[in-house]
Amino acid sequence: MNARTRGLLLLTPATLFVFVAFLVPLAILLAGSFQRDDGAIGLQRYVEFFADPLHQEVVLRTLRIGALVTLAAIALGYVAALAIVDLSPTSRARLVGLVTLPIMISPVARTYAWIVLLGRTGLVNNLALQFGLTDAPLRFLYTEPAVFVGLLQLLLPLMILSLVSALENVPRDAVPAARMLGANWWVVFTRVLLPLTRDGLATGGVLVFTGAITAYITPAMLGGAKILMLETLLYQRVNVTDDIATATVITALLVSMSILAKLVLSRLAKGRSK
Amino acid sequence: MNGRALQWTALGAVLLFLLGPFVIILAAGVSDGETLTFPPEGVSLRWAASVVAIAELRHAFAISFALAVLSTLGALLLGIPAAYALERLDPPGANIVRAVVTSPLVVPGIVVGLALLRYFVIPLGIGVRPALLASHIALLIPYAVRVVAASLRNLRVDIEDAAIMLGATPLQAFFQIVAPNIRNGVIASFILSFITSFNQVPVSLFLSGPGISTLPIEMLARIDFTYDPSIAALSAMLALLSIAIVFLAERLLGLSRYV
Repeated sequence: MNARTRGLLLLTPATLFVFVAFLVPLAILLAGSFQRDDGAIGLQRYVEFFADPLHQEVVLRTLRIGALVTLAAIALGYVAALAIVDLSPTSRARLVGLVTLPIMISPVARTYAWIVLLGRTGLVNNLALQFGLTDAPLRFLYTEPAVFVGLLQLLLPLMILSLVSALENVPRDAVPAARMLGANWWVVFTRVLLPLTRDGLATGGVLVFTGAITAYITPAMLGGAKILMLETLLYQRVNVTDDIATATVITALLVSMSILAKLVLSRLAKGRSK
Repeated sequence: MNGRALQWTALGAVLLFLLGPFVIILAAGVSDGETLTFPPEGVSLRWAASVVAIAELRHAFAISFALAVLSTLGALLLGIPAAYALERLDPPGANIVRAVVTSPLVVPGIVVGLALLRYFVIPLGIGVRPALLASHIALLIPYAVRVVAASLRNLRVDIEDAAIMLGATPLQAFFQIVAPNIRNGVIASFILSFITSFNQVPVSLFLSGPGISTLPIEMLARIDFTYDPSIAALSAMLALLSIAIVFLAERLLGLSRYV
């Protein structure tokens, strides 16, 4: 038996498993979005989906929150990553460990912290009442900013880690050289660091954006039924009204948005090799 | 304030944002008060004890634990041969296979659960438990393949060739030469997969039924009607458990290299 046949034999179980227990069911679900009520192929389900103002609102909100979380993660990510790569190798490893830690902890537990902080008797309301900023507890939970903050905290580590590994590959003297030639910090950032860390930025961007638009736990816990995102809408439609037609369209939207984000951002990353 | 000081302050603020919530969960979880408040009222472990006393939560913990162990083993069993074939044997269609086995990474979890429920569990008449296990194995295969492939890439091919030239069969060469050398990668993959499965919510949402609920889903269900610090205590315990696992793994193998 030659190596190629052996290779094929070793690959078959995993490939077959993913095929049967994942790709085929997913393909059937996706294909369902193009089925009309009379059984023919058509875009009826999409037309009906987008005719509902609530659905439009949820799609727009999902994209808006995804974009805002990604932009905020880029800004905070660079700030943190630039400081981390400035450290000695030992402390750098230690900080990378600290940033990695939250990724390993249950997202339910991580998000619950925001309920403790932002709830009616939480820290923020207690402080606001004590300092007389408000007479009655304010509502922070089940608002869009709460979902935004929760997602940012959940996903920021992925951006920091991507940027740290990108910045580690920037030649050590690139920044001092630019400074010596008279560039100010903004120019150094936009003309030197940004082009040199494009790959890491694209990787982090894909992880954060797709993570935000496909999140379930955070919008479920901090947004509830008021601030629906695509995943919580899907769950609600299937579980409350058994509305598979809507679920198939949401599936198609989520999968295509994830793939599109990946294509666009990896395009941007490769742009510099032109 | 000069540039350096500004940079450190900013890093401190980001770390506070990332890690502060855990301090809050910990503090709220050891509160002695009747309701969830922050700052906590007194210190006691009674809410942690109350959580452990709830039979449904113990049951859900047992399910999550067994699910995480079994799905990790399943993913490694399928993933290690696949990673080896992809790295070493240049099989036909390698790129397509790579795309197939890593595809569960790019598909939203809730969609995976729904697709499996509708077009795998119901038509094939599979029970909820095996379906849950199958979904988690599919989810974890990409991690197993990726981490093991990375360890194989760091191992020189010629030591394996040498073993075969000296008369070892390919199987002997794998178990006696390759396996000991990729052990750390496999252990790292085991830990990552275990944690991923244990914390997983969206995939399991549609695949849990009466009496079969994982711990994070049971927690989600209880949040809406829990006003005492018990969920905070449970969250704190879970966070401490993860921190302990990660700390040990980092000490033993340098886990962060594989994330």
